[in-house]
Amino acid sequence: MSNQSGQVYGLTILSPIIEDDGLDICHSMELRWYLGHLARDHESPFARISSTYLARLVVLDDVVYVGAPACEEHLKSRYLVFETNFDGDLDTYLTRMARETPEFVEMVWKHCIGYPGVTDTGAFVGYMKKCQIATTFFFADVNNRTVQQTLKALQTQSALAHFIEKYQGRPPAEIQSEFGALLRSMSDAPLPVAGGDEAERMPQENRPHE
Amino acid sequence: MSEIDVSDIQGFSLKGYNFPRARYLLLELLESGPARDFVMRLLPDITTGERWEIDKKPMSTVNLAFTHRGLARLQLPVPSLLSFPVEFQQGMKARGDILYDTGKNGPEHWDEVWKDDRVHAWLAVNARTVEALEERCAAIERLMTETGGARLLQAQNACAINLDGQPSTKEHFGYTDGFGNPDFKGAERECVPGQGKLTADGRWEALATGEFLLGYADEAGELPVGPIPHLLGRNGTFMVYRKLHQNVGVFRNYLDEKGKLYGGGKEKLAAKFVGRWRDGTPIELSPDEPNADIVADKNRNTNFTYGGDPAGVRCPIGAHVRRVHPRDAFGFNGGLTNRRRIMRRGLPYGEYVPEGQPVRDEDERGIIFMALNASIFRQFEFVQQQWIEYGNDSHQGNDKEPLVGNHTGTGKFMVQGSTDPKNPPFICGGMPSFVELRGGDYFFIPSLTALAMIATGTVDPR
Repeated sequence: MSNQSGQVYGLTILSPIIEDDGLDICHSMELRWYLGHLARDHESPFARISSTYLARLVVLDDVVYVGAPACEEHLKSRYLVFETNFDGDLDTYLTRMARETPEFVEMVWKHCIGYPGVTDTGAFVGYMKKCQIATTFFFADVNNRTVQQTLKALQTQSALAHFIEKYQGRPPAEIQSEFGALLRSMSDAPLPVAGGDEAERMPQENRPHE
Repeated sequence: MSEIDVSDIQGFSLKGYNFPRARYLLLELLESGPARDFVMRLLPDITTGERWEIDKKPMSTVNLAFTHRGLARLQLPVPSLLSFPVEFQQGMKARGDILYDTGKNGPEHWDEVWKDDRVHAWLAVNARTVEALEERCAAIERLMTETGGARLLQAQNACAINLDGQPSTKEHFGYTDGFGNPDFKGAERECVPGQGKLTADGRWEALATGEFLLGYADEAGELPVGPIPHLLGRNGTFMVYRKLHQNVGVFRNYLDEKGKLYGGGKEKLAAKFVGRWRDGTPIELSPDEPNADIVADKNRNTNFTYGGDPAGVRCPIGAHVRRVHPRDAFGFNGGLTNRRRIMRRGLPYGEYVPEGQPVRDEDERGIIFMALNASIFRQFEFVQQQWIEYGNDSHQGNDKEPLVGNHTGTGKFMVQGSTDPKNPPFICGGMPSFVELRGGDYFFIPSLTALAMIATGTVDPR
């Protein structure tokens, strides 16, 4: 089924970008500049919307036919492409975007035709849905657990590995007592920060092979 | 079988010489005219891939390769220079973030010779005796002086470790090295089981020539990306040169400490790190003990797969050999690994310290590692980044390859196991870096034809 894979919702939005010949810097260029400098780690606005697996924003200038004979064809407009995979339903997600990251939403969609602003949440949700197209491909690395369940599982795996490394070969009574302590500390532990904290960050931020 | 012109290919690109001694001369090329003259006069001495007749095995070999800066110094036409793959143009230092050559592996810790980007050429002399090595190197140095074309920046010696008075294939950590090298079509020897690629019915066959030599079809049926004109690249290949310092003291201490805790004992833990017992026996084939018969049998010593050991009970999923050559471990009869293969060359450097004797990690000791491939980006860099410094493909999370990973004291390595008390699961934590990078670069090993074109200034990209 389009848009839904298990409990993950896949959203694709195409928002036409405003054309204004009177400006010194066109909307698409300003938008590209803003997106290019957006944080991609735990400071990303999507780290605040805790149900996000993955989000991507692209300025689609035009489509270019590659082949022979060359064929010139154009899109009717420049578009902002917004793709995201998240837990839960669409209305909740868009409402959270409007309420929890209003400055970000404003900085991005103010360049788009028909954007009603972010203060009227209902209007923003309605506008976004109007720009929605069907999603049929999803972020693959999701095993039908929520983002929070996945983060918790990774945290548990890491803590358990450290525990085993530390206590392997110790007397059973000590292991049992320490394991109890581990369980208690795990149940109290705050979830890891979305986007990863410094110590657990992947080796390379810029991995061209993926 | 593809026909390849072995007389046009540098011998080093085609085969390991198995000579016990080598000296890698790192050269700065001077003025382009004298430098070309130097290459021209060296040309008759370059060792090709031709088969040596019995009793005609040379006492020494000579091979030559250039960095991109070296090719620029030789004044290749700009369109040719710009047609090389980007990673080769950039050089290894600039690729440090991708390769995770950071921290103690960063360029600030490299040997002096790499600091000013002056290495233009790599001239390798492999020799059967000290005398032959010295004689050949002296002749080359005379040629450098006579032509004024090149200056020696560093002479890196390397030498097989002698055990019982005989050169061995051991490296400093005590492992027997140099088993696996991918077979490809057109190479001299026949395909050895375990060395090429897996077929759907479980046999091994040679890989496409173009995975290792420019100018031939690769595994995708395409010609690898090479420079223009075609003749400049054809029969050439790219080489990654890395001087890998080995912290033998750190390694032995760590192994002693963890070996006491591990139910299988120290030697088995050492075998779990690499996927081979230190004598070379694959643990996939002989999980409980070394087996000299397997080691000695070329039809068996690399002939194994991981399909029957998906949980890593015999060979841990993160073990060295399973990471760098996963064979069928990712499914599809190994189809996901056939384009990620590298040929390895190299020899240890520095004095070998036997087990049980005091060893200082500050001393010069390690291995000169060289990888040959048609695409540094697709082959070496992928293996280094995704399979050595990252564990996702092998489902090991952020865990790095245990032996050569850039661990910095926080490394972790999971030894999968079973209910057998001699083969228990075990986690190695707090891993230090056993190996540190001390420099290197990306080189192009031209064909004999290309060397002549370079030397005569007749590279014509039009």
